Amino acid sequence: MVKRYTSLAYKNADDMIFGKSVYPVKAELGLEVGAGYVTGEVNYAPRPEAGVSKEKLVSEYRRLTTDIMARAVQVGFPGISLETEHVEQMTNNPDWGGEVAHVQKTIMEEYHEEYGIKTALRHTPGDVRENRDLLALIGPKYDVLMESFEAVADAGADFLSIETMGGKEVLDYAILRNDIPGLVYAIGCLGSIDMTMIWEDIRKIADKKGRIAAGDTDCSQANTAMFIAGGLLDKNLAHTIAIIARAISAPRTLAGYEAGAQGPGKDCGYENTIVKAITGCPIAQEGKTSTCAHSDVMGNLVMQCCDLWSNESVEYHGEFGGTSVQCWSESLNYDAAMLNVATETGNAKMLRDILVLSDKYRDPQGYVLAYDNAYKVAEAIAKDGDNLYLRSKNAAIACCDLLTSADPKKLVMSKFEINALNDAKAALDAMTDEESTFMSDSMEKYKAEVAVFRPEDNYKF
Amino acid sequence: MDIDPSKILVRYNVAKEKAQTPEEMAAELYPSTEPAKTICAAIFDGEEDDVIEGLEKAIEGGADPVALIDDVLMVGMKIVTDLYDQGVIFLPNVMMSADAMLEGIEYCKEQGGAAPKPKGKVVCHVAEGDVHDIGKSIVAALLRAAGYEVVDLGRDVPVDEVIAAVKKESPMMLTGTALMTTTMYAFKEVNDRLLESGIKIPFQCGGGAVNQDFVTQYELGIYGEEAADAPKMADAILSGKGLAQLKEQFHKH
Repeated sequence: MVKRYTSLAYKNADDMIFGKSVYPVKAELGLEVGAGYVTGEVNYAPRPEAGVSKEKLVSEYRRLTTDIMARAVQVGFPGISLETEHVEQMTNNPDWGGEVAHVQKTIMEEYHEEYGIKTALRHTPGDVRENRDLLALIGPKYDVLMESFEAVADAGADFLSIETMGGKEVLDYAILRNDIPGLVYAIGCLGSIDMTMIWEDIRKIADKKGRIAAGDTDCSQANTAMFIAGGLLDKNLAHTIAIIARAISAPRTLAGYEAGAQGPGKDCGYENTIVKAITGCPIAQEGKTSTCAHSDVMGNLVMQCCDLWSNESVEYHGEFGGTSVQCWSESLNYDAAMLNVATETGNAKMLRDILVLSDKYRDPQGYVLAYDNAYKVAEAIAKDGDNLYLRSKNAAIACCDLLTSADPKKLVMSKFEINALNDAKAALDAMTDEESTFMSDSMEKYKAEVAVFRPEDNYKF
Repeated sequence: MDIDPSKILVRYNVAKEKAQTPEEMAAELYPSTEPAKTICAAIFDGEEDDVIEGLEKAIEGGADPVALIDDVLMVGMKIVTDLYDQGVIFLPNVMMSADAMLEGIEYCKEQGGAAPKPKGKVVCHVAEGDVHDIGKSIVAALLRAAGYEVVDLGRDVPVDEVIAAVKKESPMMLTGTALMTTTMYAFKEVNDRLLESGIKIPFQCGGGAVNQDFVTQYELGIYGEEAADAPKMADAILSGKGLAQLKEQFHKH
């Protein structure tokens, strides 16, 4: 049995700041995360044609790693973190991922030895636990996934991460139907059950290999909601529903830390500020410098408490300023330099609050994720921290309450967003407080409505 | 520290919001006669039980079950998709309405023992190696809502299987979605294999990492930036537009 968080690592929201966490982590080549400074974490994807063979993929990663390290040294940055999110070929063939990690780490060691630059390598195997038609969270694919973690850890990856898929079969159905109990079940319950299982095993591998079990994110669900919601003129999902999904994702991501993750949390986990408030572990974040990958409505705000600052992902190709990874790693580290100067000059909280206020009222999503409000969601989660269902429901209710009590002259929401919010709150109010009742009712409902939902095969209830 | 945010952002969605509610706008579009009016309202509300109840009454009153599909169910759904296209209602409303409409169609087929001819057939799939299928599911639902028959091959579909399905089904259009750069490379293979077989149908591609630059690298590719482009593209094909015209209409960058 894992120990659930029932209290917060920070005594108050104002103590939370970028570059500093309660429990920093240190990588092999000197980079510390959350130890008082922010570092850029560059993330990349190979070109489409590079996936056709192991040799082509390894060559692609060799070149892009060299490019990044060379640029970091050319521009004089003290450190840089690299994240390799696996393409499916690399996880399904663990030796491919291992070879890429080995090549990358070797290059990073050479730069570290020659110039003293501090570096860290994160590898993020893909969650390949799926059959053609169904999630297969437990079984042979799970074993392949663990082999992949072993391979990249052996080869030198400092931080082990993943973006797990648990709960997604129900989420994909629920999110397109404004089904709030479905979001709680998919993200908060099914997702957390899967997270608890997988992160206990990742932690074992990390401990055995002397690596750091870093963290997970609810990318497959909360980010799906955020992407579907889109910008201000998109009509695919109310942004109020998207932030409710995000709030529920925090207790899910928390489950990874309860099972052994130590941070830095994954960049695309916009729920990470809530999670940092509870765990005190360092986090990566992405925002204005990840527009190469996607648009969001909180480009500055999410920088508020980051320890690594990421670009999410960019395809490796040429730009006027060099290769894409060189351009984006340079931008990331200039951002990091600005944050670190604020820290060095005693202006960190001032800058943090400027970043927050530039987006806090842009959208319901940014409003709830502003560190002061994120802290309140964290308190709601910890209140019933040992109950996966209740803490998820609490997070959703806290999110609704924050939005309904916001100053309507500052946080201006559309009628549609307000109606969706009111409907969501009514749905939450109608939900039981009994976890067992909710779980059994939900299992029955979604087994009937979602053909690909096979709970007995996938979740250790 | 706090601010008045009015000088640093504009919530354009609020500024553009119509004075009328979606329900009021829909009500103006419902047929004036019963039971069509009630059934259309039930579709708009996504109330499956009410749709079936309305159909039961209509059939009891002498209506032809199969005719109800075109004359009432599709009319109700068109109100929903038109309001979605106008930005008045959101995707979940469309999905729930489509669920209700499809249930109504099944009921009518059971009652009438026949089915009306769809507007056309589309084969949908997610690229080989890619299991992310929510985009494909949205595309399939919007196509069905617009009256097209959808052959859904699912996710992680091998290229061979895509080619075999196209040969078997002879669709008017093929769609492919992908989230990742390395999986979308399968689209190019699909394109080449279709051309080798002498099949020149529009191949609509979209999703996460997919972009117009990549799609325009292969002859049959039409880039779909939004899922809602899929039925519009199918309509354009029905109106006689060829590959070049489709590219001109849908390639926005």
